[in-house]
Amino acid sequence: MTIKVSGLSHTYNAGLAYETKAVADVSFDVADGEFIGIIGHTGSGKSTLIQHLNGILKPDSGQIWIDGIDITGKGVKMHEIRKRVGMSFQYPEYQLFEETVYRDIAFGPRNLGLSDAEIDERVREAMDAVNLDFGEMAERSPFDLSGGQKRRAAIAGVIAMRPGVLILDEPTAGLDPKSHADVLSMIRSVHERMGAIVMLVSHNMEDIAAMSDRVFVMDMGRLVCSGTPAEVFADAEYLRGIGLGLPPSTEMARMLGLAAGAIRDMDDLIDAISRMRKGRDL
Amino acid sequence: MSGPPAADTGAVRAGCDRQDVNFKGQPYIEVRDLVFEYRRGSDTDGEPDVVMRAVDGVSLDVPRGSFTAIIGRNGSGKSTLAKNVNALFLPTSGSVTVDGMDTRDDAFVWEIRRRVGMVFQNPDNQLVSAVVEDDVAFGPENLGVAPDEIRERVRAALIAVDMTEQRKMAPHLLSGGQKQRVAIAGVVAMRPDAIIFDEPTAMLDPEGRREVMDVIGRLRADGVTIVLITHFMDETVDADRVVIMDRGRIVLDGTPAEVFRRADEIESLGLRLPFAVELASRLRRRGIDVPAGLLTPEAVAGWLRGSAA
Ligand SMILES: Nc1ncnc2c1ncn2[C@@H]1O[C@H](COP(=O)(O)OP(=O)(O)OP(=O)(O)O)[C@@H](O)[C@H]1O
Ligand SMILES: Nc1ncnc2c1ncn2[C@@H]1O[C@H](COP(=O)(O)OP(=O)(O)OP(=O)(O)O)[C@@H](O)[C@H]1O
Ligand SMILES: [Mg+2]
Ligand SMILES: [Mg+2]
Repeated sequence: MTIKVSGLSHTYNAGLAYETKAVADVSFDVADGEFIGIIGHTGSGKSTLIQHLNGILKPDSGQIWIDGIDITGKGVKMHEIRKRVGMSFQYPEYQLFEETVYRDIAFGPRNLGLSDAEIDERVREAMDAVNLDFGEMAERSPFDLSGGQKRRAAIAGVIAMRPGVLILDEPTAGLDPKSHADVLSMIRSVHERMGAIVMLVSHNMEDIAAMSDRVFVMDMGRLVCSGTPAEVFADAEYLRGIGLGLPPSTEMARMLGLAAGAIRDMDDLIDAISRMRKGRDL
Repeated sequence: MSGPPAADTGAVRAGCDRQDVNFKGQPYIEVRDLVFEYRRGSDTDGEPDVVMRAVDGVSLDVPRGSFTAIIGRNGSGKSTLAKNVNALFLPTSGSVTVDGMDTRDDAFVWEIRRRVGMVFQNPDNQLVSAVVEDDVAFGPENLGVAPDEIRERVRAALIAVDMTEQRKMAPHLLSGGQKQRVAIAGVVAMRPDAIIFDEPTAMLDPEGRREVMDVIGRLRADGVTIVLITHFMDETVDADRVVIMDRGRIVLDGTPAEVFRRADEIESLGLRLPFAVELASRLRRRGIDVPAGLLTPEAVAGWLRGSAA
């Protein structure tokens, strides 16, 4: 599985007084099995960009190839694309529509034509992965859930499809810390076990640094840089200038005058602090 | 009407363990044995179906001028509690009073909603007008405030959230943090005594989060009573008090230092420690004797630098 995007642009309300150029001439490649983190200030175009990758939005110009198929071309069956590219939305309210949580999560697998037994297995597995208790939650209405419970149900619906490309728009926003950690480890395991491409949009720099092979940075509709987390988080001033920041461990390392670029998470930070203190004690 | 903000809120910082003693007089918000059940329709015998008991016996006093953070896992009842405080929901049993006004008394509902404002997660859903200052004026206009006074209130509210420069702009051209600050200004223009923030930074970029937390700090300094519901533990470390909910009940309640000392409980409640507290505790396990009670990265960094000298 690969993704290629070339010269993608999208303008909302073109020609009107309040037209917004949300995505402007964006090009990139994603290799098989890559984990991409996408960061950018609010309104920088992240959600608009990724909604093109399973055909929910159509570009004004530019092309998108999923596994070599140009999905902007004529006669492409969108439901075939959506089987392969699963997407969870930033606002889960827009994604939940069935009468019960169970039926909501089963919706995708059912469309894949699976048997009832297989569907049941997938629903249970997906609910387990996002930390939703089956006995307590399966028969409840998705509209009667708390904010964080809705998000977990929406993510479960996507992973139950076992897509080859998993696109997650702020999947941990509004989750409590344990569910946050659980959803991250679920994403990691889907990525590793199934070799899925993951594109994770997040304002959480810590998660992006910890999870991504490569980080894309958006600013005012443009893809302004991409690189490994160490490369991208090396330039703190630039990131601050466009509304972003550093992961807390990297920030702390800077505060202590340690080589911040190499510090991705708290484990790295603790090692670096220990080394620093040993160095001084000698 | 609303009395002056407590003059002695500064005393909270002095290091007393129980914050209540620092606030004089009657609590501003009093929640007594609150139970709230979501119900659906009614079945044949006329009894409503209980769908969910979301708040299960909560009592809580919020002193005027204080900053209370409420945390707890998804579905623990935080938003439901908040909506009971400003009379969007009424208790199934128990009571909620705001400055002595019972939310169940119809005569008080509008006054309570004016006095206790709410700010929600999604900044896009909270703005209604095509121009920032119209949006801020919307609330007071609905209250029938005189035009001159509306102008003054809008001016003051925009200053309070530092958005004066953008007052003529269209909200859709603003960043998320800016939109959220406009939403806060709309509440501030109602001259509330208290504002409940329900995950106000969940959808914001790092800069937007800083901006909103700065505004909350400024409102607090102006004497506004703050209740902040959040999943970001680091947003709670400056609070006077951290309240932890679980399954509809309050399970821990104390200063941030007190609450976050109980690492095992915090974890078993589905939460985590603030960054600096977790770092300090893990450094201690590595034999670096960071003292307990340091809550911010700056404090831990300061200690590390000092102790190395
Ligand atoms: N449906 C829409 N109609 C009109 N304009 C829109 C629409 N959706 C987004 N926009 C505008 O397009 C721009 C890009 O928005 P987008 O939602 O893609 O940004 P984002 O990076 O996902 O932001 P956030 O971090 O807040 O989620 C913004 O200026 C936004 O206001
Ligand atoms: N409209 C509703 N009808 C029925 N039950 C509901 C409704 N809204 C919430 N609940 C249930 O009430 C309980 C408390 O929900 P609430 O929204 O207060 O939680 P919360 O602590 O704010 O969670 P989160 O951190 O996810 O926002 C949950 O079990 C939830 O499923
Ligand atoms: Mg978005
Ligand atoms: Mg909530």
